[in-house]
Amino acid sequence: MAIQSPLIIDDRERGLFRVHRSAFTSEEILALEREQIFSKAWLYVGHESELPKPNDFVTRGVGGRPVIFNRDRDGRIRVLLNTCRHRGAEVCRLSSGNSKVFACFYHGWAYDNTGRLVSVPDGDAYSASFDRGQLGLYQPRVESYRGFVFATFSDEAPALVDYLADARYFLDIIADQSANGMEIVAGTHYYSMNANWKLLMENSVDGYHALTVHQTYFEMMMNLGTTPPGVDGQRGIGRGIDLGNGHAVAMNPELGSPIMSPDILEEKRRWRASLVDRFGEEHATLIANVTRNMDIFPNFAIVDLGFGIQVRTMFPTAPGHTEIVGWQLVPGDVSDAHKTYRLDNSLTFWGPAGMATPDDVEGLEQCQRGFAVKEVEWSDISRGMGRDMPPIVDELQMRVFWREWNARLTGASYQREGAPHDSSYLGAAT
Amino acid sequence: MTDVQQEQAAVTRAGVEDFLYYEAALLDEWRLEEWLDLFTEDAVYEIPATDLPGHVESDTSRTYALVYERRTLLEQRVIRLKKPTAHAEFPHSRTRRLLTNVRILGAAGDEVMASANFIVFRGRNGRDVFYVGRYEYVLRRGSDGLKIRHRKAVLDQATLDPHGKISIIL
Repeated sequence: MAIQSPLIIDDRERGLFRVHRSAFTSEEILALEREQIFSKAWLYVGHESELPKPNDFVTRGVGGRPVIFNRDRDGRIRVLLNTCRHRGAEVCRLSSGNSKVFACFYHGWAYDNTGRLVSVPDGDAYSASFDRGQLGLYQPRVESYRGFVFATFSDEAPALVDYLADARYFLDIIADQSANGMEIVAGTHYYSMNANWKLLMENSVDGYHALTVHQTYFEMMMNLGTTPPGVDGQRGIGRGIDLGNGHAVAMNPELGSPIMSPDILEEKRRWRASLVDRFGEEHATLIANVTRNMDIFPNFAIVDLGFGIQVRTMFPTAPGHTEIVGWQLVPGDVSDAHKTYRLDNSLTFWGPAGMATPDDVEGLEQCQRGFAVKEVEWSDISRGMGRDMPPIVDELQMRVFWREWNARLTGASYQREGAPHDSSYLGAAT
Repeated sequence: MTDVQQEQAAVTRAGVEDFLYYEAALLDEWRLEEWLDLFTEDAVYEIPATDLPGHVESDTSRTYALVYERRTLLEQRVIRLKKPTAHAEFPHSRTRRLLTNVRILGAAGDEVMASANFIVFRGRNGRDVFYVGRYEYVLRRGSDGLKIRHRKAVLDQATLDPHGKISIIL
């Protein structure tokens, strides 16, 4: 079947934006995504804190490839593709551990943790042309930014800092939350949904859905005497920002306070004061009193709601099925009580057994079911189109994703939407 | 033997089984308020992350569990689940809990430790999923019978695929 053209309608003059629903259902489009997006873009692999010691490793999927994410004997972070150069078997079959060597059990080829082929049983049987130096574990390009490690399978991708564009600024705001570095907490949320992966990228930065999908969460928080952050989005404050290259953020002043003891409130005050010392008032406010939902194209989302930071990747196994991984990131230098406060709030909201995320999954699966109606060809994502400073309940963030997605698949070019980011909006909001 | 020890000796596996089967029936029938009444005031309900199944305690100062709730939040979970706006569970799933291999693991003071294996079926929207794992209970013996002080559901599945979520009480 031919791929639909056009895939998106981006009518700036009339303020209309539509996405053709074959984007969510077509096998051909998924094949094109694998080739043009997941083989070319920078993909999030993991956080450096997951590998505290030399020789630590974890295995996971990145862009559909099995990889070993490790710190080698010299402390350098690497991404080794987990396939033996001999006949293909995975050379590491554990989910995590500490090892200097990865040995393939099929015929015994062994690699050190820099990827070098160090042992071939009965190696004398090979000809002089057999070059072990060329048969190390394949290593994609790897670069990291403030602890966030990315890989790309393309030689043509720009440097990571250029790829991240203005998203760098928001990664800085997250990394700056701790003088001792940020840490991924042990315990990973592995789940899935029977819906297209792009629906979750939309959902991760969608302020419009919060009060309808998460009504019960907000009611629960108010039952507990708290004002959940995010409620104020409906008042038209906060801002969706086009960060370039398909990245976008929805940022909102933190006006509520979640489940918290007076001790934690006091500790958070001290924490904020330390941020003011380090960065000044304006930057400290951005770090401590603003929430942000950020998509980094193509499949990485960071949601920092003040009470916790959810880090999430998603990957399609089929047009209507997505594997999702969720982690929790915390400042490394806060007390155990502060970590408990963050984790209590985070797993009450997020995660496949929280009191909010299951309703997101339900919503996205309902969309996918609705796509069976072929008579309705287009989804509408026009809300707030053309506004310079769209509030987070507008849909600029999703349009930013879709324009880059469309450009990757069709070669179309596009202009960024909305006013460039500056931090003065905070003054207006407070 | 003291009186207290004699009372504990009276907690039999059959007694624990009766209690757990009753609990399972309440959940399958969506009688969630009655289910909540089975818990002590200092109760904890937890589901560890699927990559940390052997963790002794999914204490939230250390790990990112799937669920770690004390009584207050557990009450809120029940209130939420009964609302039509709890979208993932409206309409309600059909569930069926099969509990086997019930064992009493020990006793301390007025508390009894027990474990059971489970398969929990969830059917909704034409999709059927099965959660498989092990329960670990701390049951407290009081004047009105057994109460749940700690209820931990440890999943054997490494990933919640195809489940996508745990929107029911597991």
